[in-house]
Parts: sequence; C-alpha cells; structure tokens
Amino acid sequence: MAQKQDREAPKTGLDRWNATESKSRGSKGARSARPGRTKRRRMNPTVRRYVSTLVVTAVVCLACAFCFTPLGERITTGLDIQGGVSVILTASKQDGSAPTADEMNTAKTIVEKRVNTLGASEATVQIQGSNSILVQIPGATDADSAVQTIGQTGHLEFVRLDDIGDADALAKIEAGASNVKLEQGTYTAFLDGSYIQSTSIAQSSTSVGTYAVNVTFNSEGADIFDKVTKELAPTKGQICIVLDGVVQSAPAVQEEISGGKVSITGNFTSDAAQELKTVLDSGSLPVSLNYSESRVVGPTLGQDSLNQGILALVIGVAIVIVYLFFFYRGLGILTLGSLVVFAVLYLGLLAILSHYGMFSLSLPGLAGMVLTTGSAADSSILVLERFREEIRMGRTVKNASVSGARHGIMTSLDADIVTLVTALALFFVGTGTVKGFGLTLALGVACDIVTMFGFKAPTLRLLAAHVIPSHPGFWGVDQDIVEAERRSQEAQKARGAKVPASSAKGGEARA
Amino acid sequence: MRSHFSHEISFIGHRKQFLTLSCILVILSIVGLAVRGLVFGIEFTGGTEIDFYQTGNITIEQMRDALAATDEGTATVQTTTTQGEAGFLVRSDTTDPTTANAHAQAAAESLGLTSDNYTVTTIGPDWGADTTRSSLMAFGVAILLIIAYVSFRYEFKMSITAVIALIHDLVITLGVYAWFQIDISPNVIAALLTIMGYSLYDTVVEFNRMNENAKQLRDGVHHTYFEICNFSINEVIVRTINTTIVTLVPVICMLAIGGATLKDFAFAILVGEILGTYSSFAVASPLLAIWKTREPKWAKLEAKYGSAQKAPVTPATGKVGEKNEPKEG
Repeated sequence: MAQKQDREAPKTGLDRWNATESKSRGSKGARSARPGRTKRRRMNPTVRRYVSTLVVTAVVCLACAFCFTPLGERITTGLDIQGGVSVILTASKQDGSAPTADEMNTAKTIVEKRVNTLGASEATVQIQGSNSILVQIPGATDADSAVQTIGQTGHLEFVRLDDIGDADALAKIEAGASNVKLEQGTYTAFLDGSYIQSTSIAQSSTSVGTYAVNVTFNSEGADIFDKVTKELAPTKGQICIVLDGVVQSAPAVQEEISGGKVSITGNFTSDAAQELKTVLDSGSLPVSLNYSESRVVGPTLGQDSLNQGILALVIGVAIVIVYLFFFYRGLGILTLGSLVVFAVLYLGLLAILSHYGMFSLSLPGLAGMVLTTGSAADSSILVLERFREEIRMGRTVKNASVSGARHGIMTSLDADIVTLVTALALFFVGTGTVKGFGLTLALGVACDIVTMFGFKAPTLRLLAAHVIPSHPGFWGVDQDIVEAERRSQEAQKARGAKVPASSAKGGEARA
Repeated sequence: MRSHFSHEISFIGHRKQFLTLSCILVILSIVGLAVRGLVFGIEFTGGTEIDFYQTGNITIEQMRDALAATDEGTATVQTTTTQGEAGFLVRSDTTDPTTANAHAQAAAESLGLTSDNYTVTTIGPDWGADTTRSSLMAFGVAILLIIAYVSFRYEFKMSITAVIALIHDLVITLGVYAWFQIDISPNVIAALLTIMGYSLYDTVVEFNRMNENAKQLRDGVHHTYFEICNFSINEVIVRTINTTIVTLVPVICMLAIGGATLKDFAFAILVGEILGTYSSFAVASPLLAIWKTREPKWAKLEAKYGSAQKAPVTPATGKVGEKNEPKEG
C-alpha cells in the first residue's frame, strides 16, 4: 500500500523530502514490512537491527546502573555539598615570569605534604590552569588550622646541634627521636633553604640498597657549609635539618665538605630518601603561593543545598513528564523512556568519572545536570514533532517514523553540537566552577546523543510498525492523520480529480 | 474540519516591530550598564563573604554589633531567607582568609551559633581578574568555534545573524543585572555561557528548517525568502513552544526552591532562555531574511512576488492549507 501511495502521492509540501530520499526508503520500508507481518517468527533485517540496538542499549544501561548504585557512594560530592575547606593558591615568581610545569609539580607535592599533616585522608590537591593549585579538604571543620597549615611558607633551616639551647629537645635528638619540635628563639640557624640550588636522590655508595640525598648549595651556601663542617668534622658533630621548627633529620658530619655538594646518608630507604628530599625542596619552594580563594562550608549546609537542588530537579522533571503526556499522550511514554535511559547513562558516566577522581558533583554542576535534562527532553520533542509533521504531510506512520526520526535527530545533533562546543570551551578554558559546569554540560549532551540513536529512534520505529497505526488515538497521532486526509482531499479537489475520498492517504496510513 | 495546524502566524511580517523592540531593549540595557553599572561579587573584587544560616531570632543589629566587636565593623549586612529560615549575608573587604575565618568564628560564638551555621568565602584580590580573563577567553573561543561550525554546516550569513541574536540576548541579560543591581558571581558567568548555548540551539533549529526549505520547498505559495522564513518558523513553532516550556519548568523550580547558589544560575537562565527563544524568531530570522533577500537570486524572486512588502501570503488568519496546492501534477 505504501508503494501505491508513493505513486499516487500528490506533490504537496512533503514533496520536498520525497524528492531527496524517501522514494527508496519508503518502498524499502514497505517491502520489509510484509514478511514481518506474515511470518511473525522470523524478524526481518530492519526490525532485527532495531531490536539489537535496543538490546545493546539495555546492556549498557544495566552496566551503568551497576556502576552508580548505591548512588550516594558512587558519585563523589564536591566540597560545597559535603562541607569542608577549599582553598585556591596562585603561584607567582619573584621575577614575574610564569612558573614552569616542573615548578608547579614541586609546589603541588609540597602542598600535598602539608595538607597530609592535617590528617585529612580524602584531601585532594590539583593543579588548575597554568598557575593555580586547588586544595580541597572535605569534612574539615577547623578552617583556621587548615588554612594556616596550607598557607605557611615552608622554612627550612640548618642548625648546629650545639646551637640548640633547649636541653629537652637536645636530649631527644641525641636519643634519635624524630620530629622533635624546637621553640622559636632557642636555636640559631647557620643556613636556610634559600641557599639550596638543587637536590637529588642517589644509591648510596657506602652501603648497598640504601639511598642518599644529594644537596647542592649555591656558592655562598657552599662557603658557609664548608666553614661549619670544618669545625664539626673532627667531633662528628650533628647538623639538624629543621623544617618549620621541626627537626626532620640530624645527620652527623663525617668530613669537611667544600664545593657545596653534600650527601646526606643514613641507611635511607628509597621512600625515606624521597621524603627527605621533599623536605629539602620545601624550603626552596620554586614559587611563592598566595591565596586566591578560600571557602569554608559547614557540612549540613551543603547537604541542605543538595536536597533543595534534587527536590527542584525532581519537581521540574515531574511537571515536564506530566506535560509531555498531556501533549503527546502515548508518545509521552517514549519521552519518559528516553529520559530514563538518558538519566541512567548520565549517572553511570558520572560514577565512572568519580571513581577515577575526575568528577565531583558541585552545586553548579547540579544546575548543569538540570539544564541538560531539559535539552534531553527537547531532543525528544524535536523527533516527535518531526514525526507528526511528516504524518500530516501525508506519510504513513511507518515511513514517518523512519524519516521523521532521522530528520529530527539531524536537527537535534546540530543544536547539540553547538551546545557541546560551548561546553567544551567552558571546560578547557574556564577555571573553577565554570569548568565543572562545562564538564556536566558536555557529558549531558554526549548522553543525549547516545540516547537518540540507541533508544529513541529504534523504539519509535518499532512502535510505528504496528502499534501506533492500530491505535492512533492513544498515541496522539489521530489529529495528524485527519489533517493529512484533509490536505490530500483539498489537493485532489484542486486538481479536479474525481477520486473518492476513501483513498485519501490518511485512510491508508491507518490500514 | 480545520485543525490548529493550518494557521500561519506572520512573524516576518512584523519584523519591523520586533527589531524595533529589540533595539529599544538593547539600548535600555546599554544605558543600564553605563548608568548603574554591574555589581561584581567578591569573586571579582576580592574580599570575604560570610553566609549565616538558621540564625533564628538574631536581629540585624545584634549581627552588626557582633561583627563590630571583631573588627568587621565596615562590613555590609543583608538579611536572607533560605527555606523559610532567617539568615544573614555579610560582605567585607578582608582578603586574608585566616583573619576572616577568625572573625566569623568569633562573631558566630558571640551570637551562640556553631560552625554549622555559616560559610566563609575569601577571595584574593587577583583572582577576579583571572576568572574574568578565563571566562572571556572561553566566550571568545566558543563564539569563533560556533561561527566556524555554522558556516561549515549551513552558511556564513547564518552564523553571523545567529551570533548577533546571541549577543542581543547576552547584552539584555546583563542589562537586567545592571538595572536590578544583582551581584555577578562566577555562577552567573557560567549561566551566561549556557544562555549562549540555548540561544544558539533555538536559532540553529530554525535555520536548519529554513536552509532545507530554501533549497527544497516548491509548494507554489512560498516564493521569497521572507515567505520561506516565515513558513519555516511556523513549521517548528510547536516544538519551540514545547521546548521552552520543558526547559523553563526545571529552571523555575530551581528559582523557587533551590538554594542561593542555584538561584544565581536560575535567574540568569530564566531571563536568557526567554530571550533566546524570542531572539531566534524576532532577531536572527528577520535579519537573515533581510540579508538573504539582497542576494540576486532572492532579490529577483522578491521583485517578482514581492508579497513580503504588502504583507503577505500570511495574514494571521490565513489558511495555508487552502493555498498549499500543487501547481504541477
């Protein structure tokens, strides 16, 4: 029947689509429809393709659902939601030049070390952009101490043991205790970290399997160190390496050291040597760090905001669904299904990214999610509108489902790509909240595109094969079919053809 | 039986009114920006913002006294309401986070509040410049990419008119912020960039149809670019209305019940979304049609059929169906 219609179709508005592609499509669809109807057991290739697409989508959805349950644990919540301290430090150099990537990495390591002393296990330290470091300490409530610890400038000093006045501390150091705290004013340093030129780790030459930390001083530092070691060498006196008032290590001087190259040995393991190196590096921070932003959020406040956001999302989506059912009737189920598939894919993706520490849900991110849900609903509307429009133009329901979905998706893709371009620009160029917002937006658009191809189009086409034509009223296309009938009649009247109204296309579409 | 699909609303016929309205709005916005200026949040100027929540019966005087006792006497204090609970928003120019935290803690303690009752945000003085710069760069990069994509996919004239409509939306949204003196936060910047996406989304959907119709529509009724343009807008009108409702509902929900952060977004997006829909048929499409009609091909058709001049095929009551007849068998 569809073939007959193709031949008889009057050249109305639909003609412009017929001209380009529907002839071949339409007749193909008609041919493939027949065997499906007679031999129900064997699916024809088109139907099989749709079904297998849906099966793949279902499997992906199940995998996603597995990824994100339980929801609360699998999706990392940002600091503005779970509460805590967030600090952004900006690095700058004294000579005004931009810090290099290496310098930023060193600075990051140092900040990490400081943050860890706060005992915050989930703290994250990230480099943002070319010169910022973002520190997030979830659950930290003592904002003051957190801010102070991160902000202190690591001050590295070299102190002769015999310059330490505090007898208690002295005794502890001699006994080999680590992390002995020295009070300000009880000691005098002969050198500080600013004289260090570079540090490195090497295999110890004296005992196999242990490591040494090599320090190179600049010429001024070398001279001072030479003088001090000359005095200490005969008695094997100790030099304390003091970071921020805490003795980190107190190696004994074995010999006079000139030339500024010092090797600190002490049966260090690789890790211990690395740690000492970090301490030494801390004192010679390659960049100076300044506060750019500090944010302290009470834990319950964030949770309240999250609940409000989720409530807004739920109410918003519920109203949208009711509206879609009202407007599209049965086809609203398709939209609802698309939204569910979209949500499952989206949450799955976010859970996977959370797992790898690449995503945490912030309030702006939540807003981004609400917005992308809007555009996911929009792509359904685009497809359904095009589908109904093509029915009005005189296509059969089945043909309209094939070409309507395709045209709708093409339009939607163009619009999605434009949104994606914006989102990616936000993600790559923006910083902070803007960045997180761009990421959720881009992921949402990606999920929407997958939903269109993986669920919306095949489902609509499968339904259009038999289910929709037999119950046009329920699926909300009856009015479109009536419209098509009317247009066709008018067209025939205009042509003066004496064709009985019963052969109007609307009737065929229903048959 | 006449169905509701057969009416064609004359959008393009009213292009002069639409464009005049848009011009007035843009001028008003620019005046607003020049006279009242934008209020930048502390993220741009540097300073400290302390949000107190669930403060119960504490009065604004008590709050001011408590702050004055901690050397924050110059801070501005506003009352806020979150989910029916009273609160305060305190802004000061303290840029040292340690001091700011200590002050907030002291003030909270003197008022009998715990650390659960407030958040402190301190922004260093240089950060705002960085944020602005990176946001402007993101904006510039996005605009260039969009022009490139739309030119590649459709045509250059479409990309330019789409961008003009977009700038129209952004300027008016900023104008609203200037006239109502609402703070600009980084969230608002993110929202402005989203408006960009939405505005283009609507415009692209309409241009998509115009592009298709300009190439393939031969119904014997719509000859000139103005007519094709108007017909295309009408073809997608149901989708435009539905999409606008569907995207506005969650935004309105956010505005109604979302927290302060979400409201920042929601307001900008509400304004931008309405403008984005409006500008797609009232700014982008008419401008494109005017521009396209200057091309020899369309100018000839315009001279021949010229209906757009004497308002048209499409009076608001016109029944397209009656005229939508095939000329050839």
